[in-house]
Amino acid sequence: MTDEKLISKKEVLEKMGISYGQLYRWKRKGLIPEIWFIRRSTFTGQETFFPQDKILERIERIKAMKEEHPLDDLAELITTHVNAKLRVALAKLERLGWLDDELLRTCCPDEVSDEAVSIWEAFVLGVLSRLRRAARDEEIGLVRKTLESERGGGLLDRVSENGLNLYLLRKRVTSGGISAQISLVALTEQGAVFDPEIEVVTTVDLPTVLQRIKLDLARSDETPDRDRDETPAGEDAADRESDEREVKR
Amino acid sequence: MSEQRRSVSISGSGRLGGGEYQRVTISGSGRIDGDVTAEELRISGSGRVSGRTEVGQIAISGSGRFGGAVRADEMRVSGSAKIEGPLDAKEFKSSGSFHTEGDVAAEYFKSSGSFRVGGDVEADIFKASGGFDIEGLLSADKVEIRLAGRCTVREIGGERIHVERPESLGAALLGGLAKMLTGGGMAELRTTQIEGDEIHLENTIADVVRGTRVEIGPGCKIGTVEYTETLKVHDDAVVKERKKT
Repeated sequence: MTDEKLISKKEVLEKMGISYGQLYRWKRKGLIPEIWFIRRSTFTGQETFFPQDKILERIERIKAMKEEHPLDDLAELITTHVNAKLRVALAKLERLGWLDDELLRTCCPDEVSDEAVSIWEAFVLGVLSRLRRAARDEEIGLVRKTLESERGGGLLDRVSENGLNLYLLRKRVTSGGISAQISLVALTEQGAVFDPEIEVVTTVDLPTVLQRIKLDLARSDETPDRDRDETPAGEDAADRESDEREVKR
Repeated sequence: MSEQRRSVSISGSGRLGGGEYQRVTISGSGRIDGDVTAEELRISGSGRVSGRTEVGQIAISGSGRFGGAVRADEMRVSGSAKIEGPLDAKEFKSSGSFHTEGDVAAEYFKSSGSFRVGGDVEADIFKASGGFDIEGLLSADKVEIRLAGRCTVREIGGERIHVERPESLGAALLGGLAKMLTGGGMAELRTTQIEGDEIHLENTIADVVRGTRVEIGPGCKIGTVEYTETLKVHDDAVVKERKKT
């Protein structure tokens, strides 16, 4: 949204102690999304920059995970395409704080008796749980409808490829002494601009939601006991922070 | 998968519907309408697939045209091939000529003929000894280019990048041949940027070279070299600016 802090390729290599070979290899394997490679002309010629926080966090994660997983599998866990057949245990979602009975009923009424939900449903739950504090009931319904209508259009793939954001917006319209507020939902790539009369109630970074699901699954499948401790405290904190930020807006 | 698939052979001139086959052989002139899946596809005459191609082994010694994406475990071209979609092959070898409009992804890529790629080339190992034109990025763990014609690529990135101009008599003759074929073009590599850990270049014209250990050999014209460990520059090379970072 606002200008992200960028870091040059050279600085990334230096800071993370990796080589050009590794960086290009990880890009080829789909571990680092194409859109993070930002080309800029500098006085020495073309240089590549990255969104600093994202790239550093991603490389940290690749380095930590590549010991246990072959590179080709890592891509599956960390980025790009989503295996739609995977199912997520409800217990895990509950632990993430994405789940309560009410949400589950609005999201997937048919599945309440099940112990697991599909990736898609986990994704919708994840999005809705991030909206719940700030959004009204009918807005939650609106978001759900928006997501559902895009489901067939390969939304999950687009999310991981393009870095989509979901915006919940409100606008007050006054005319002839009557005033009404309308709610809008927009799914767009990051950095969308809205007119100044629009209030951005909440922004949900969809790739983060999706990544959370995949990583949580991956961890839990590998080491059911350890994973709770291994969840980096920083990540949780960052998540809470962003939630709070969203509410303030 | 377990049911018996048909094998077909076109040896005169014929058309075939798309579908699943065991083995397709075209030795005359043949055309497959639609998508094709097979264990093996051999074209020694002239063959054309209008849709997607998903085949275990593809061998083209005549001329092959593919209207969509091509996916293969092994693909060999000794004639000519034109692919309109992206190409994804575990092992790709060409001694003829080929042209793809999309990206190329391979584990092992080797060309001793000439080729043109409209997108990026990604491989674990990339070897070329003819001429080529890659519009996008060439990225591989190991890039080995033996110059024998004009080579252009937007950018190269990888671990080990080795570009050399072979000077043996045979190669000189071949170079002369390539010169004739490419209309008098020099055996040189032109690119904007090369980034790698171990870089050795000859006869290369580049704006920027960035690497850990860099060797700039004879015939190079480089704008800026940025290196972190070592840099060697041949007397017969021009480097405008050197920076140790």
